[in-house]
Amino acid sequence: MRSILVLLRKDFTNFLRNKAAVSLTFLIPFVMIWLFGIIFGVNKKDSGPNGIPLAVVNASDNPAAQKLVDALKTEKSFRVITEFVSPDKSRRPLTEADLRPLMQAPDAPFRFALVIPPDLVRTKDFGLHLKIFSNPRNEIETQTVNGILQKTIFTNVPQLLGESLQASAKDYLGSPAFKQFNGTIAGAVADAFGGDKEKIQQRIEAGDFGLGRVIGPAKPADPSLRRLDNNPTPAPAGSAQSTSASAAPAPAASNAAADTLARIVRLETVQVVGANVKSPAATSIVGGWAIQFLLFALSASATSLFRERDAGLFQRLLASPVTRAQILWSKFLYGVCLGIIQLMVLFFAGRVLFGIEIERHVGLLLIVCTFAASACTSFGMLLAAIAPNAEAAQGLATFLIMMMSSLGGAWFPITLMPVFIQQFSKLTLVYWSMEGFSSVLWAGQSFLQILPILGILAGITAVVMSIAIWRFNRGRIFE
Amino acid sequence: MLHLRSVTKRYGSLVALDDVSLDIARGEFFGLLGPNGAGKSTLMSLVAGLRAPDSGTLTLDGAPLTAANAASRTSLGLVPQHIALYPELTAPENLRIFGALYGLRGGDLRARIDAALEAVQLADRRRDAVKTFSGGMQRRLNLVAALLHRPKLLLCDEPTVGVDPQSRLAIFEYLEALNRDGLTIIYSTHYMEEATRLCSRIGIIDHGRLHALGTLDELLAQLPFEEEIRFPATPATAALAADLPVHGELATADAIHRFRPRPDFKLSAFFGAAESHALPGRLFTSQRPTLEALFLHLTGRTLRE
Ligand SMILES: Nc1ncnc2c1ncn2[C@@H]1O[C@H](COP(=O)(O)OP(=O)(O)OP(=O)(O)O)[C@@H](O)[C@H]1O
Ligand SMILES: [Mg+2]
Repeated sequence: MRSILVLLRKDFTNFLRNKAAVSLTFLIPFVMIWLFGIIFGVNKKDSGPNGIPLAVVNASDNPAAQKLVDALKTEKSFRVITEFVSPDKSRRPLTEADLRPLMQAPDAPFRFALVIPPDLVRTKDFGLHLKIFSNPRNEIETQTVNGILQKTIFTNVPQLLGESLQASAKDYLGSPAFKQFNGTIAGAVADAFGGDKEKIQQRIEAGDFGLGRVIGPAKPADPSLRRLDNNPTPAPAGSAQSTSASAAPAPAASNAAADTLARIVRLETVQVVGANVKSPAATSIVGGWAIQFLLFALSASATSLFRERDAGLFQRLLASPVTRAQILWSKFLYGVCLGIIQLMVLFFAGRVLFGIEIERHVGLLLIVCTFAASACTSFGMLLAAIAPNAEAAQGLATFLIMMMSSLGGAWFPITLMPVFIQQFSKLTLVYWSMEGFSSVLWAGQSFLQILPILGILAGITAVVMSIAIWRFNRGRIFE
Repeated sequence: MLHLRSVTKRYGSLVALDDVSLDIARGEFFGLLGPNGAGKSTLMSLVAGLRAPDSGTLTLDGAPLTAANAASRTSLGLVPQHIALYPELTAPENLRIFGALYGLRGGDLRARIDAALEAVQLADRRRDAVKTFSGGMQRRLNLVAALLHRPKLLLCDEPTVGVDPQSRLAIFEYLEALNRDGLTIIYSTHYMEEATRLCSRIGIIDHGRLHALGTLDELLAQLPFEEEIRFPATPATAALAADLPVHGELATADAIHRFRPRPDFKLSAFFGAAESHALPGRLFTSQRPTLEALFLHLTGRTLRE
């Protein structure tokens, strides 16, 4: 054990002397985190989300509500779930009460839900009432989903708005006076623009003000949503996009219209998990970049095995009362310690930069960091074990780390990736490490709740380390 | 002290050591002389327990030398052929690591580090990273790094490669002093002069085979003495000159004897005769037979080939 500590200390002294290694481990990820914190949501390189699971509960008997549900089903960004599948495979429509337990489950089948309540069209005040439930993993996801929901709602339900206007007017004026009011309006319209007064009055009473034709597709004012307009994919059939071509409103005008709509449609959002987390997105930015650079740092440290071998240092070490196993375990221990320090330092930086609340979770965060660092270290050791030399190991490391980071969600939320690629995410230790971080920092889960994630990380470590040690024993690293 | 019995080591199909048997006595300064790829480092690594032989046995003070025998490793010191130091660290930091691995600590370790740095004239560079050292300084540190734990047997694998004559001399003197104090040394080199100067006994190795083994004189004695020796024709040398014709051809011209010995007449015999007539060696000029010549004779190739 003493030998291992001597070797461990040696590795740390070496690390601290190596300015490039120190900045790769701490400074560069810090800068990345900082930068991504600033440009967050703006600099998205994804090609548009696809098939994000969205639960829809329709408690309204208004036909327009069903129209909205149908529109959501044709929206390619969403995979709409309307049924509850019980363990015995029987199905029934989802209810609002189903949402929370399902969304809070570790393997939540969906993280967003739209509830159309019975009082979709409100009579007390003008507007629509919709509820969005979310258990987002990060802010990009939330913004994206909200944006697409708004787009779909705004482009598909102008009729509902008219209805709402009618309902509130009726409520205010009383039914007979209201009928008379509509008749007067219809007459005025017919006199001014021509047309059949009766027909106009019918359409007014049905709530159809031709709003959809005037507004065209919603142009949300929120800059983070502008991306959606540039989305080259054709709008789903049945959306108001086709009518917009004839109306061709000036962008400024349509923006104003969308603003108006945003004020009229009351989207009540309920964040199911992590509602009181201050900077939820920061968790994944910090976790993602920290893990990625930890992988770089650790694979660099593992490839230093090659340098030590080439310099004959292993000969010197092994000629002393030190065994191969002690050298390998000291490297492993070093990687884990460095990883814990790096992750904790960067999360602390995240606290300073973004106000991530780490104080309340320090213990669990430390545990997750330990397991994540172990998995990362074993990855570095495996590289050193299978590569023939340092250059090959570094090349392989760069390739694999970039792939794992992008697939695992370190760069952008995996929900933004095609579904079939998302399946590969779970094969990466980046994904599970980030799951661990957000479980603790975001969802505030307990030790028992994060046990499965820890188990997976430990499993990855055990398997990868076994392969690495087996390869080390067969390989030439110590010759 | 150290015994090798029919040790064979292969790398795949390449036989790096071929049936080598060798006994090293306590206090010896043993030279292992051979060209590149002869198997010197391989032999060192087997003794150091870094590798296991394919057949044969190695024992140190009766105990088998195996990778698992950690106890015997504390009585060994290995100076690797490469400079095996952490370049980013200072000399004392390097020595602290290697000393600590042998269980040294505290004031004792510090005192030994100070003494070691003094001994190889590196005390004034103790704050500098090893990578800023010259090649010769690194070599010297590489050497003392194997000595902190005071081994009984020191394995020096070409410790003077790339060292200037002055540093080389410093290393020689240091090793000679250690040897006088009782340290047994195995010293591998492909320099004749080093083996000639330092070693009490020499093994000539090539292609994994130990071709010859003995003191310098014993080895040179194996060399057929074919060279011409010249010495002045004076009254003092007349007696020697009178003895020589039975052993070869003696011609005299311009007050110079030129002697061409027969193949079976050994150099050592000639010098023995000269000594018995109280003639100093400087009288004789010749192309002195060397280990180089012996090596050529034994292997049919030159050392630097
Ligand atoms: N790890 C190894 N794998 C395969 N072959 C090796 C290995 N180490 C040495 N050899 C081969 O074994 C032979 C003896 O090598 P060794 O290093 O013992 O020679 P050496 O006498 O130390 O040479 P040098 O003077 O160049 O250091 C050489 O032919 C070399 O190529
Ligand atoms: Mg060698």
